[in-house]
Amino acid sequence: MKLVAVTSCPTGIAHTYMAAEALENAAKGKGVEIKVETQGSIGVENELSEKDIAEAHAVIIAAGANVSKERFEGKPVLEISVSEAIKSPKEVIERALKLEKKNYMRKVEEIKQQRSEERTGIFKHLMTGVSFMLPLVVAGGIAIALSFIFGIEAFKEEGTLAAALMQIGGGSAFALMIPILSGYIAFSIADRPGLAPGLIGGSLAAQVGAGFLGGLIAGLIAGYTVDFLKKNIKLPKGLQGLKPILILPLLSSLFVGLLMIYVIGRPMKGLMDVMTAWLQSLSGTNALLFGAILGAMMAFDMGGPINKTAYTFAVGLLGANVFEPQAAVMAAGMTPPLGLALATVLYKNKFSQGEIEAGKAAWVMGISFITEGAIPFAASDPLRVIPSIMTGSAVAGALSMVFGASLRAPHGGIFVLPIPNAVDNLGGYVVAILAGTIVTALMVGLLKKNITGSVKVEARQKI
Amino acid sequence: MKITDMLNEKLMNLDLKANDKAGVINEMIDMLVYEGFVLSKKAILKAVMDREAIASTGVGMGIGIPHGKSNTVVKPSIVFGKSIKGIDFESLDEQPSYIFFLIAVPEDSANEHLKALSQLSRRLMNQEVREQLMKAESTEEVYKVFI
Repeated sequence: MKLVAVTSCPTGIAHTYMAAEALENAAKGKGVEIKVETQGSIGVENELSEKDIAEAHAVIIAAGANVSKERFEGKPVLEISVSEAIKSPKEVIERALKLEKKNYMRKVEEIKQQRSEERTGIFKHLMTGVSFMLPLVVAGGIAIALSFIFGIEAFKEEGTLAAALMQIGGGSAFALMIPILSGYIAFSIADRPGLAPGLIGGSLAAQVGAGFLGGLIAGLIAGYTVDFLKKNIKLPKGLQGLKPILILPLLSSLFVGLLMIYVIGRPMKGLMDVMTAWLQSLSGTNALLFGAILGAMMAFDMGGPINKTAYTFAVGLLGANVFEPQAAVMAAGMTPPLGLALATVLYKNKFSQGEIEAGKAAWVMGISFITEGAIPFAASDPLRVIPSIMTGSAVAGALSMVFGASLRAPHGGIFVLPIPNAVDNLGGYVVAILAGTIVTALMVGLLKKNITGSVKVEARQKI
Repeated sequence: MKITDMLNEKLMNLDLKANDKAGVINEMIDMLVYEGFVLSKKAILKAVMDREAIASTGVGMGIGIPHGKSNTVVKPSIVFGKSIKGIDFESLDEQPSYIFFLIAVPEDSANEHLKALSQLSRRLMNQEVREQLMKAESTEEVYKVFI
């Protein structure tokens, strides 16, 4: 275990050095390696090199004066006062050792959080619905895959475990998928009163065979209907309590229900049938192009609206028993962080020290299918990184489609691959992911420029 | 330059009379002024007190290291002082302080002096050094600690 520290104080005569000495002694006592840079009136002594920082588990900044933190990007930093370092150096060392390397992960979390806050309008409502639907799809898809362990037709034998698993997955989880999608889209638009008509509209969409497209439409109609009624129905004061409990759910449910049954249901079913049939018949060049487009969409904005569109489309198709696009989007969503992680290993001179560190976390993000893991890299050099990851993802998506790989679980990264029957043509699927990863890394190597010169060490303020 | 090169037995007082923080600082600065190492008592006193106002230099472990920079300092100097009874120096550990190093440097001090001072600060973090200073009964013994 190694730590690095910077000490600095207002006059830079005494405390800077006392703190340095205290930290060095305390670290020695604990058998921890430490390098302490002193920023005192003499100037910078024992300066930390990029290598020191890269090797360090954490950074301690003990300063009364301002110390620039740019050098330590991606590192856990413990900021304390100089006095604290002098007074209780052992505790400071212990606290620094306990810091975890989660800054990069946290950064990605923050980006995801920020994005979901930025979402507005229809897209936000759709994403709310999808997020509530996803757990059902995960649980249902994997339960179904497990039932196939006993044979593809085994569930037809009543009373068997295979039948039970199918009842859980197909009969219940997948049956709830579209109502929940629709219900929570409406909930997102109109709050609680939207839920009932949304669930009902979604249930009808499923019954008439309008699939997830029908569910999306039902949810939107239900939500906006309730919203409209809420604003426009005016009741005398004494009757107002009836509005949310009787009037809104009844009127909106009737409206959405009748619309689904008599007007929208049938054309939506037709559309779903055509699309499903087309997707199932996809092969050769068409499959390749389709996979490439889905893949490129996944990488384009790394978890943004375009990515979510492709992803939602694939998840929705699971309910229609079309599993190939799901495989393609997951492969394509994994390769951006994976490819960048590989690039940081292959092309060290094209990345900052912080990025090389972040590359390690990107591996984890990649195998977990967290496309957002590529964002910190793309943010610093979008015009070179985004085309690279789009190319790699297009390759992954295309190959996955061409190989006919299919996936029954909508999430989980490599962790769902070992589940029996979750993936069809597992070998081809793994090849697709690997190829996408390698192409991404090679593209990054081709497009990204070397970082020239050493990192600028900013002038340090001394009093 | 070594620490010992900056020590001066004329700037050592092993029996400070003051009863409080301001008194100790005053008493030690008076030695500097008396020996002619500082031209303006007012200026160096202000520099030292300004530094104390940011955060007390009573770093605990019985030690205080008031210090200041001023153009009126002729030569970088260390004043050593010891209080037998102990002084409330607004220490980090809230314990009385017994040993004081008052450091005065010109605004544009040469690095060699500053280096020696940084060495002094580091040495004071060593328990053995502190114990020897506590025991010291003559200027010679103080001097020896840093050889």
